Formats: sequence, structure tokens, C-alpha cells
Amino acid sequence: MADDRGWLDRFVDGLPEQAWFKFLSTYVVVPFWAWRIPTPKLKGGPRPSPQPSENVQRMMNLVMPLKDTTPIGRAKAALAIAQNVDQIFSGLDNVGTVHFARFIIIENNICMISVYDGDFSNYIRDFVVTIGGLFDDVLDHVEGGDVLRPTTQNVDKVIDWIHAHDLFQAPDFPTDFFLLQDAAKGLPQDDRAHDIRLLPRALILQMRANPSLSLGGGYRAYPGFSAAQVRQKLGVGT
Amino acid sequence: MALSEEATPADLEMVERILVALRDPEGSDELRRVHACGVGAAGWFEASPVAADYCVARHFALYDNPALDRAGDRFRDPAAAGRPKPKRTPVTVRFSNGSGAKARRDGWSDVRGMATRFHLDDGSETDLIAMTLRSLFAPTAQTFLKFSSAAVAKACSRQPWWRKLLDLLRLTPPMPDPYVGQRIRGNEGAIAFAKRAGNDYCRTPLFLATLIGAPTSYLRAAYHAAHTFVVTGADGTRRWVRFDWQPIDGVLNLNPLDPRATPSDPPRDPLDPPHDYLRAAMIERLAQAPARFSLMMTLGETGDAFDDCARPWPPHRVRIEMGTLTLDRVLSDAEQLEKCELMRFNPWRLTPGIEPSDDPLLRVRRDAYEIGSARRIAARGRKAGPGAACPFSGG
Repeated sequence: MADDRGWLDRFVDGLPEQAWFKFLSTYVVVPFWAWRIPTPKLKGGPRPSPQPSENVQRMMNLVMPLKDTTPIGRAKAALAIAQNVDQIFSGLDNVGTVHFARFIIIENNICMISVYDGDFSNYIRDFVVTIGGLFDDVLDHVEGGDVLRPTTQNVDKVIDWIHAHDLFQAPDFPTDFFLLQDAAKGLPQDDRAHDIRLLPRALILQMRANPSLSLGGGYRAYPGFSAAQVRQKLGVGT
Repeated sequence: MALSEEATPADLEMVERILVALRDPEGSDELRRVHACGVGAAGWFEASPVAADYCVARHFALYDNPALDRAGDRFRDPAAAGRPKPKRTPVTVRFSNGSGAKARRDGWSDVRGMATRFHLDDGSETDLIAMTLRSLFAPTAQTFLKFSSAAVAKACSRQPWWRKLLDLLRLTPPMPDPYVGQRIRGNEGAIAFAKRAGNDYCRTPLFLATLIGAPTSYLRAAYHAAHTFVVTGADGTRRWVRFDWQPIDGVLNLNPLDPRATPSDPPRDPLDPPHDYLRAAMIERLAQAPARFSLMMTLGETGDAFDDCARPWPPHRVRIEMGTLTLDRVLSDAEQLEKCELMRFNPWRLTPGIEPSDDPLLRVRRDAYEIGSARRIAARGRKAGPGAACPFSGG
């Protein structure tokens, strides 16, 4: 099939792959639109919902920047976790609403990834009460963590801090981005005009405000069931 | 089936207007208004061990004899000695491309359909109509008509270079170039319609439709029956549910940058994908072994859109595995005509244990399918049956 495009058509079609155009887009076009359309950072964690299955198996993707990002600093953070494994396991058993939890170090961040049931604030409150000592040790290695210690005496501050460091969770349906951005800007939630062709721009600007995010609510093999229901059904606890 | 008894002349006029709006200039009166090109297959459905707990419909029974359906037997290895063979319900399936054009364009980005007829053991039938989009474009007859009218296919052409450049500087992907041979499309009209205040209902399905692509095989796509149905379980509990088919082979689309139908084919221009490969792909696949789909049923919760088929449910609802569909052969050309093209699928063709919800578009589809299929069959010179007459003729 002959290509009947003119040279200008071919030139423009190839622009997205040109290094200079990517540079221009990154350093001129995107900042221009970020100035033109201020896009606030969206809050992390799951959004409130009265629906039962939205209140079980919720995700926390807590990203905490390390103070010391050298290999030695990262090793110290790893050791803080390794020294407290018993405290983590017994504490999470006592919390009772956690499906899975793990700490990981990704480059200059120590992250806690967990799946839990129920309200976010209650989860953190239980967490601090049961393994606050561990959290103190971890925060010792984290930027901005000093003001939160001892965590058992700063529970509300810890909740706010964790909320701020929990990744924003992108909506399951892409066009819901428009609603979340409108809400964050204080715009009315009635049915406003929105062009779906501009959704990629909305996403780009949001990625600028929230450099890291969780993509959708994720897959679940048995959605809608709490950790307690699973344990009870399997006959391994209550 | 016949037209719904409660359908008023105004309802039927609405159906007529929708059918007019759906008319594809490149279609044919002998074909469906949408999903015109199809491929038929046959096989059987087997219920899962838990299906009957949630729905008492005949095809969800595990055994022919309900007395055999003891909990202790349900989860035993089917191959184990002494366990009765699960019941098989024969099915006919019509896979289709969403376009109403009579020319087959398998490689073009498009929604695909999977209409399944279950031939039940009491001689009755029930249908499950699904598609690769999770939701329809509008929730009511009125909104569907508005959307369909706005999305009528019109002449299309490549955007000029300066328009594309402006789009790139707006951080907006330019409109895709038309495929080779594509003269009309409804994309521009649908997108302009979705932009306007008050038309938010179509944004999610439309955005997802723009990304949908073309499957490597009808057997490698997931299909969603967008409507809500009400099922009654063995204990009499009624639940509001939605059904999905998940392919055991997995979901796989053509590579949009090199849309060759098989790895051994020569590289293809992205704007000139293969036109007729999906039937051959299915014949080749089923010659190796039967292909299977899992039927998943999602339970709705208070607060979900029970009567809004344009709004998909979040993916975190309780999901029940209701059974497995096995397809073992593609229909012959003669069967394709008799069992697929002349078959009158209808999303309202239900069976005891499954009821329609209050979804208003489901009701509209009942009549639209009846009237449309009767006319299509009559156009082929066959006996049209009930519903063929113009609903305004007074006949």
C-alpha cells in the first residue's frame, strides 16, 4: 500500500518519537499546561465508600523516602525491619484486619505495601498501637520521620503523615479522573462538559502532581471477603 | 418471543427511531443493524459445583438428576470413580464484529460480540448477549437514541498536519488516520457528543471503545453482558448480578503497530490490517482442541447501578464462577446461515431462575431485537414470524 501522505504529514506523525520533540514537550509544553490548568495533588489511599466490598481488601502503598540513600543507609533501614520480624507478625495478627503486608525498599524509598479491611484511620491507629515500636525504628531512617516519634504519642499526626505518603489510587474507570480533579479543585460535581480526547492531558498533569500512583484498585481472587471471613471459612481462625 | 405486551406505541416508535439511527450506510437489510458480520460455533456448557446455589436456572444445575447434587459429590474429581458425569447443555454461539457494515473488517479496532444460546433440556432456550465493552453507551432509550444519532457514521479523512500538530501541543493524541478503505466512521460525532454537559454517561464506554483494538481470535477476548439480571438461588435468595465470559486461552489483541494475523504473516501497515482472519483463526484453534470460556457472575451491592447499563460495576464485587463453556467446532456455511444469521437472539430470552432487572434499555433491546430480526429475516425472503410488521401499521 503506497503511503500517500505529504512530507509535512509524515513529519508531524513522527514527532512523538523525536527526541527533540519529547524534550520540548517535557520542558515547555507540559509546564505550560500545568501553569494554564493548575492540577492539585490528589490524596492517597482508598476513597470513602459506603459499599461493603469497597471496605474490604483495601490497599495501602506507603512510600517513605529514606534519609540516607547510600547502600549503607538502605541496609540500615532493612536491618530495622529484619530486627523486628516477630513484632511485625504478632502485631499484625493482633490487628486482625490485614490480609497481606510487606516492607520493600525501592531505590531511595522504604515502602509498606498492605491489604487491609475497614477504615484507613482505624487501621493506622491499630497499627501504631500494636507495632508502634517498630514504626519508631523505621521512621528513624525516614525523611520527616523525627517529628512523628514516638508514634504512640502522635497517632493523629502519624495518620495524616501516612495518608500524605500513601499513593494516590487511580480510579477503576479512566473518565472518573475528571470527577476527582473537579472535586480537588472545588468545582461542583454536577455533570460538567469534559472532552474525552483531553483525558490523556488530564492524566499527564496528574502524573506531574502525583509522580507515583497506584493504577486502579487491582485484581482480587476472592473480592468482597474480609480477612476474618477467609480465616473462618478455611477453619484457621476467627 | 413476541414484542413485550406492555410496549406502548410510543415505545415502539422509539425502537423504530433507534433502528433508523443504527442503520449503517454500508450495511444491508439482510444483516443485523450492528454486529452484522458473525462467525458461529457450537459446543456445550457445564455448570460449576456452586452455580446452582446462586441460580436455579436449568443450565446451572450440575447434574441431570437433582438428587445427585449432593454437596459431598460436588467437589470430587470429575474423573473419580462413582461420580456422575456433570450435565452438558448444548450451546450455539455467534461471535461478531460490532460494525453494521456488510464488509468484514476483522482487523479494524471495534467492539466484538458473543451471543450465546443455551438449548435447555426441557426444549426451551435462553440467550446471553455479551460484548467486549463492559457497558453500553447510554442507560435509557432516549439517551441511546441521542447518542446513536450523534454517532452516525459520516465521511472521514486524515486530519491535516497542522491540526495534528495543534493536538500534540495540547497534549492530546490526534484523531487516528482512517484505515485503508475506510470512508465513514462515527468517532468524531460520538466524541463531540460525549463532550457536552449532561452526556457524561457515555464517556467511560466511549473512551474504552477508542482503545479497544482487534482480537487475534474471537476465542481470545473477554465478553461482558452489560445488563443487570436478577437470579434466584436454591434457597430462594434473589440477587442482582452481571455476567462475563473470560477466555481460558487468555485475552490477546493484534499488535496495533504491526497487525499481522499470525506470526508467520509478513509485517502489516497499521492502517491496513487483515480483513478476514477471525473465522480461520477459530477453525485452526478448534482443530487442535476445544476452547473454553469461564462464565463469571458478579454480585451487585446496594449503591451499584442496577438499572444503568452504561455504568460498569467496580471490579471488587463478589464474583462467582458459574460454569465453563466449551466450543469444539465452527459452524459450516449452511449452519452459519440457519443457526446464526437467521437466529433471533434476544437479551430478554430468559428462563426461570433469571429475570430482567429494571434496566430500561434491556426492555428496549427486547423489542428492537424482535423487530429488527423479523425484518432482517423477511428481507431474505424467509418467513418473518411475529414482530415483522411495522409497529405503526396497526396490524
